Amino acid sequence: SCSPSEKLDLDAWKKVMKSGVQEEVSETVSEHKELSSLAAAREILEMWRLAGRSVPENISEEQLKTFMECPSKSAKKKYLKYLHLKELYKRNDKRKMDEKRERRLETQEQASKTDETRRNSFVCLWANCMDRAYSWRVAQSMIFGQPLVFDMSYEKDMSAREVANTVRQLVLSEGCNRRSVDPFHIHFCNLKDDSLYHKEFIKHYREAWGKLLITVTDQCYTDVFPKDKLIYLTADSPKVMKTFDHNKIYIVGSMVDRSIKTGVSLARAKRLGLETAALPLEKYLLWNTGAKNLTLDQMMHILLTLKDTGDWKKALEFVPKRKYYGFVTKP
Amino acid sequence: NVQPPEKPLQAEEWNRLRQSFQSPAIFEEVMFNSMVRCNSPIDVAKSLLTHVAKSNGDIAYNLLVKYLALCVQQGQTKEIRDVHDIMKIRFKVLESGAYNLLIRGLSNSDQWRMALTLLEEVKKIMIPSRTNYESCIKAASRHQEMNLAFELYHEMLAKDLVPTLDVLQAFFDFSRGMKGAELQKELFGILLYLRENQIYPHKTFMRSIKLWFESIPGGNWRGHLTNIKDSGQCPVCNHQLEDSDLTEEEYSNLRERIIRDVIHGTDTFRKTSPQEFEAFQTFVENRFPYDIVIDGLNVSHIKPRKMQCENLFDAVNCLAKQNARLLVLGRKHMLINSSNWRREIMKEMQNKADFFFAENISEDDAFLLYATLRSGKHCKFVTRDFLRDHKACLSDSLTRHLFRKWQRGHQIVFSPSVEGKHINFLPAFRYDCVVQTTGDTWHIPYKDTFEEKYSYRVPRKWLCIQQK
Repeated sequence: SCSPSEKLDLDAWKKVMKSGVQEEVSETVSEHKELSSLAAAREILEMWRLAGRSVPENISEEQLKTFMECPSKSAKKKYLKYLHLKELYKRNDKRKMDEKRERRLETQEQASKTDETRRNSFVCLWANCMDRAYSWRVAQSMIFGQPLVFDMSYEKDMSAREVANTVRQLVLSEGCNRRSVDPFHIHFCNLKDDSLYHKEFIKHYREAWGKLLITVTDQCYTDVFPKDKLIYLTADSPKVMKTFDHNKIYIVGSMVDRSIKTGVSLARAKRLGLETAALPLEKYLLWNTGAKNLTLDQMMHILLTLKDTGDWKKALEFVPKRKYYGFVTKP
Repeated sequence: NVQPPEKPLQAEEWNRLRQSFQSPAIFEEVMFNSMVRCNSPIDVAKSLLTHVAKSNGDIAYNLLVKYLALCVQQGQTKEIRDVHDIMKIRFKVLESGAYNLLIRGLSNSDQWRMALTLLEEVKKIMIPSRTNYESCIKAASRHQEMNLAFELYHEMLAKDLVPTLDVLQAFFDFSRGMKGAELQKELFGILLYLRENQIYPHKTFMRSIKLWFESIPGGNWRGHLTNIKDSGQCPVCNHQLEDSDLTEEEYSNLRERIIRDVIHGTDTFRKTSPQEFEAFQTFVENRFPYDIVIDGLNVSHIKPRKMQCENLFDAVNCLAKQNARLLVLGRKHMLINSSNWRREIMKEMQNKADFFFAENISEDDAFLLYATLRSGKHCKFVTRDFLRDHKACLSDSLTRHLFRKWQRGHQIVFSPSVEGKHINFLPAFRYDCVVQTTGDTWHIPYKDTFEEKYSYRVPRKWLCIQQK
């Protein structure tokens, strides 16, 4: 037989690509000039997506504007990747939800077929009951509990995304405080109405924001509590915390610091003349990598555990495992 | 990973390959990637494209781009043009990846003018990358269109793009032997660009500069490689290099900026406190000018085996000669009698030098800079720290350059070779290590190796060019 390449028309693909698109072309010529900058950006994004870059499939007008306002090429790239990943997560979640629903329907169908009547002495109202029990405990703590202050005065040190992250961490912190046996009385101090923090909180809690069992104030903690009882927790502090003091009021700075801004919260404590302390991470953990600053919900877990048990080892279990090799074994 | 076939395949054969591949959905992509990696013949790629086009009726954009990459890699100008035409028909706009490839591919061919057209097109939708400009500039200068090349060069500078050393070198390479006052002025301009941005050319770039100078018709330039003496004199032409002093205006400018950006920054409390800084200011006001300001803690760690206060004591003794007025900056913890800080030795030292002790959590570096700058131009400072984080606090590049220049001329560092018995210091540079000219001489410092040296390290080798 003859060799295959002889029979092959290697440029056949060009003919295919050039044919059958003529009508489209005539349209695009007139359109081309009238593209607004937004539409043009959308087109480029579409091309990037076709080229296989990390770009979201759908992008809202608002996101497109944010994208165009990014100051540099790398900032643009990062923002697109962030949107892309967000889209992926969302799609995956949705798919999982759908699968779950399908499975549930299936089992229900089977259950109805076998027609088994169940007997139970409790009405199934767990979530509701638990909520009430939790609320009762938090309400108690608001009268008798130890205060814990979150300092909401770092908005100007953060980007919008960092503020959003901060609020997310605060929501998680509040959640785990509510579920604990002996909750703190949470104070959000220096929280101004219409601040970015405030807006983000509303976004997360919606109408529940007004019913949260916490104290929110635009006052500074120094106006609310006696100064000598306050201790500002900051990783930059030269002093290391030895024990958890039940008579003190600990302050945690509500700040997510993605860039390196050392000493911001220490500067704040210095300005107000407050005592500071850092967690004894070095003393108990063989540190591996990562910054010594922890997320707000990790801080919350650690402080709650300390309050309940006073056991540093147990408390520091909440430091992410990737950050340390293990615990220091003492002779 | 798949190995691309050596010869073009028929549709069935591609189909068979595709089915044997673990994830057929991305088969073409993976195959094209490996074709680019193996630099396969384009006929093979074409046969795959034909197969895809026939079975799908279309070829995805990313496959076209990958095919384009293969064509660019092999300099297949005709194919590049064909792909360009096809892309233009199928898509309203192209994205940067395709443009990069097209510009790179065409600029290396006889159709290089088309790369310029494409560059214009890119400009309409985004800021072209510096490599886009690089390709076009090189193409223009390769074809002796120096005016065009310089036009593009100025355009990219105006867009705040930083040219690669490669482009700058290309200008010298392609201007060799060419005549023209305008051209000469432009190339001198590049040398001044190196000067302003404190960029040091590498060895091959330096050679291009030398050859260009020597090739200027009727220029009578001669270049020599040399080392500059510590005194700052060029051994070839006996010319005294510029000293590293800043002008009055630059100096006061830098001082203001250090106080504003480094010491106060966004919050004075981050590095010190207002009370402490004020106390320090009055302390300095009452006693300056100093000749040398010493970072006490930094110096006390020179020799790890020795007691910290002994190290400091040695350094102070070594620097205290000739009645120099010394200021040592420390922290309060040094005053507490401890195994590293003996009270008697501290007392003894305080007779020879002034001491200022900052709070233990304050940053003494900021004080070091302030005291040195306040004392005046002659004042030097001692630390092993490269002060990079402080330089980074300065908000614009001009001030950062000033800071580097000042640092070169005023920082005394320990001589690393003499780690033995005595502490020794390298004097600060007396001359400024930067491209410089007097009109009939040029002195150009250059790096020995191509790769980037640490930014704080200054080259010791020079190209001396003089006009006879």
